[in-house]
Amino acid sequence: MLKNILLVLLLLSLSAQCTRKNEAPSGELFSYLDANVPNLDPIHSTNKYSSTVTQSIFEGLYHYHYFKRPLEIEPLLAEALPEISKDGLNYTVRLKKGVYFQDDKAFPKGKGTEVTAEDFIYSWKRLADPKNKGQGWWMLDDKIVGLNEWRELRKKGKADYSTPVEGLKAIDPYTLRITLKQRSYQFLHILASPPTVVVAQEVVENYGDQIGNHPVGTGPYALVQWVRNSKIELSKNENYHKSFFPKEGNQDSNNKGDLEDAGKLLPLSDKVTIRIMTERQPLWLSFLKGKIDHGVIPKDNNDQILENNKIRKEYAQKGISIHPQDRPDVLYVGINMEDPVLGKHVNLRKAMNAAINRDLLIEKLYSGRGIKAQGPIPPSIVGYNENYKSPNNYDLKNAKSLMAEAGFPDGKGLPEFTLDLPNSDTWSKQFGEFLKDQWGKIGVKIKLATNTWPQFDKKLKTKQVTLFPNAWMADYPDSENFLQLFYSKNISPGPNSLNFKNEDFDRMFERFLTLPPGNERYDLTQEMVKLINEHSPALFTLHRSFRLPYHGWLKNYNEYPIIYDYLKYLRVDEEVKKELIKKL
Amino acid sequence: MNSRSFPIHYCIKRILYVIPILFGVTLITFIIFNVAGGDPAFEQAGRNATQEQIESIRKELGLDRPLVWQYLHFVKQTLSFSWGNSWSTSQNINQMFLKGVGPSLCLTLPSFIISIGLSILLALYTTFMGSRKPIVDQSISSLCLALMSVSFLVYIICFQYFFAYYLGLFEINGWSFDWTERWSYLILPWIISIFVTLGPNILIFRSAFLNEVNQDYVRTARSKGVSQFHVYFRHILQNSLVPIITIVMLQVPYLLTGSLLLEAFFGIPGLGGVLIQAIQNADFPVVKAFTVMGSLAYIFINLFTDLLYIVADPRIELK
Repeated sequence: MLKNILLVLLLLSLSAQCTRKNEAPSGELFSYLDANVPNLDPIHSTNKYSSTVTQSIFEGLYHYHYFKRPLEIEPLLAEALPEISKDGLNYTVRLKKGVYFQDDKAFPKGKGTEVTAEDFIYSWKRLADPKNKGQGWWMLDDKIVGLNEWRELRKKGKADYSTPVEGLKAIDPYTLRITLKQRSYQFLHILASPPTVVVAQEVVENYGDQIGNHPVGTGPYALVQWVRNSKIELSKNENYHKSFFPKEGNQDSNNKGDLEDAGKLLPLSDKVTIRIMTERQPLWLSFLKGKIDHGVIPKDNNDQILENNKIRKEYAQKGISIHPQDRPDVLYVGINMEDPVLGKHVNLRKAMNAAINRDLLIEKLYSGRGIKAQGPIPPSIVGYNENYKSPNNYDLKNAKSLMAEAGFPDGKGLPEFTLDLPNSDTWSKQFGEFLKDQWGKIGVKIKLATNTWPQFDKKLKTKQVTLFPNAWMADYPDSENFLQLFYSKNISPGPNSLNFKNEDFDRMFERFLTLPPGNERYDLTQEMVKLINEHSPALFTLHRSFRLPYHGWLKNYNEYPIIYDYLKYLRVDEEVKKELIKKL
Repeated sequence: MNSRSFPIHYCIKRILYVIPILFGVTLITFIIFNVAGGDPAFEQAGRNATQEQIESIRKELGLDRPLVWQYLHFVKQTLSFSWGNSWSTSQNINQMFLKGVGPSLCLTLPSFIISIGLSILLALYTTFMGSRKPIVDQSISSLCLALMSVSFLVYIICFQYFFAYYLGLFEINGWSFDWTERWSYLILPWIISIFVTLGPNILIFRSAFLNEVNQDYVRTARSKGVSQFHVYFRHILQNSLVPIITIVMLQVPYLLTGSLLLEAFFGIPGLGGVLIQAIQNADFPVVKAFTVMGSLAYIFINLFTDLLYIVADPRIELK
């Protein structure tokens, strides 16, 4: 009987393998996403999953240099960086000529039209249009003269797309004039962000409310097939404007030989298949089998492939390498400052802060994949001070004395707090138990409440939480994006979920916004970080640091959050792949 | 049923029951979503939203209207089967359902049929061996219990690792609309699905057969010299059809919703994944549509089951 079963299995598998086509035709890249993408309308592209796809199909005026760190903005559909008036309010952008939208039936005779300044004005009005509910609207909110007014009129049905916006002018088909309400040192980053890419009015009008399922841009790739929850297939945009692989990088890219393709026309691969794998095991096994060219190491498999953060010999022999990626994010435990007890007692908050052993947390729950946070700004963002040490670092003795100073020695007189978790999975519970144990040592008792993400989000935005874990990933590489989490005008439902209100901080933040990059801005950043730590509304834990594995046949792999248009730089060396795949 | 008229009155009555059941389903779904669910406006607005944006989205989605209006709108959608578009994906919900149902059925239907067929055969075999070689019966029953004791997730993790990764016999993950390729992605999920359902099915069918094995009509058939094959397949199986139909039909609605875990681990774009995504995104129209359609599927499958009973056992009368 057993023999028969094995025979049937063998026959089934053989026939299954006979039907498989050659999975790696020349120039085909296999990537992955570990979450689903609901919509490919760029105005909703505010996370890495949708942005990875939309930034391969759409393009904006600017993007980030693939190799240079700290990140450096360079022109994409613009000819050059904008000419900015002395008062910092007027941006004149000259567009590249001869850039066409991908061919689509929405265009006359199916041929994509040339991109002009009017297309950008249309795209940004579309982002501002309240009917489109664009998640990326906040990027342009209150920035451009007349755009918010246009939005208000649109809401009342008194404006359409032909109604002019004072701050957006097409001087000629290839010149765009943008007028800002006030100087903004983040505006260039905004022009490099996924929601501000250019879309074609013909396409939007043709597909109507289905536009999120029919992305058509100017990017290096066009959508071929989208099987939700399974895969996204992209193919090279044959009309792609001349765009070249960077000729310079940083020291690291020069050493790795990543500039072998310098000067070559982009994109380097003809076809990209993005596999959607929400579960860690199939993702990991697919990587080990060479079904995807790069991957992510599941927490539990960290020691299988890494030793002291370096790749183990047996995997190195298979051609697998590791790309270190320090993420521009911060993880913290938030305190709702409107809580009658926690909000009032700064020493209680500081005691809870000092009671968290971050080293243990990173080791036990993140498998060592993190850098201890000293404040809200991550190491890769300008404004981070590597010499600064938080006064709230782990010190149990200090934590206990702070509890006494707060009037709650050993937790006497304290109510039990609730820690809301955004998930009910095992890891979230382990995280909650970890904090319970840490705070238990100073007499702070908590109970854990698990939620679904929508429940958690609702509680957060309606101030129904007391303690909650949270994370913030940079939208753009500027410390403003992290400091705004503490600005009183951003309290819930805005990004300041802590509901932290401090006049001194607000004053400093408002001044910070007016300062150009430089020493004064940097010094002010340090003052704000100190003030935040003094008040402890957020107990910063870590900045995530990933080690991303990739196969030896994948060339130019340099993935970094915020740079979402990276697929066009990747190339598979088929000869190397043939050899290495035998070893897997 | 040939000699009897079709129970038309019974069917009409059962169909009329749909009205109060649907009323209950819509009401409970609506309450759960509004009380315990998230706020769709927050999900749609994103993490940097302002109060103004949230209010604007709420208005756009009709969430600023009185709850009674929202509920009546839901009832209207239910009656017209017009669910509109998903809030998160913008797809037409009926289209989403049609796109997802194919992969779900591809995943579940073949394994369901094979599992039921195999379970009946093995249950008959173990019943047959029960009086002759009790060790065989005991071994199969113990094996079934052991199979049942392992969680579905463990099967998936172990089988995917061992058969797909370690032995390389099957694909790890993926999907194709081309049938010549598609089934290479489906064989392993089918095997897992059969493995998981085999244990409980065999035990339930076996107990149904054991109830019949010592009946007088079986003894009479044997004394008349009817072959064992005939006794088991013609008499015992036919007389056990009512419990078998009950068990089988109970599993039918799950064929449509697919298997969430299998879909997630093997990258199959079925309905299970669509539903989970909708719940995670507070996509109320999709959740509403799926709940109502699921309830309708249950109601009609139950009705169909009742009709099958009278085919299987002419003594049953539907009143």
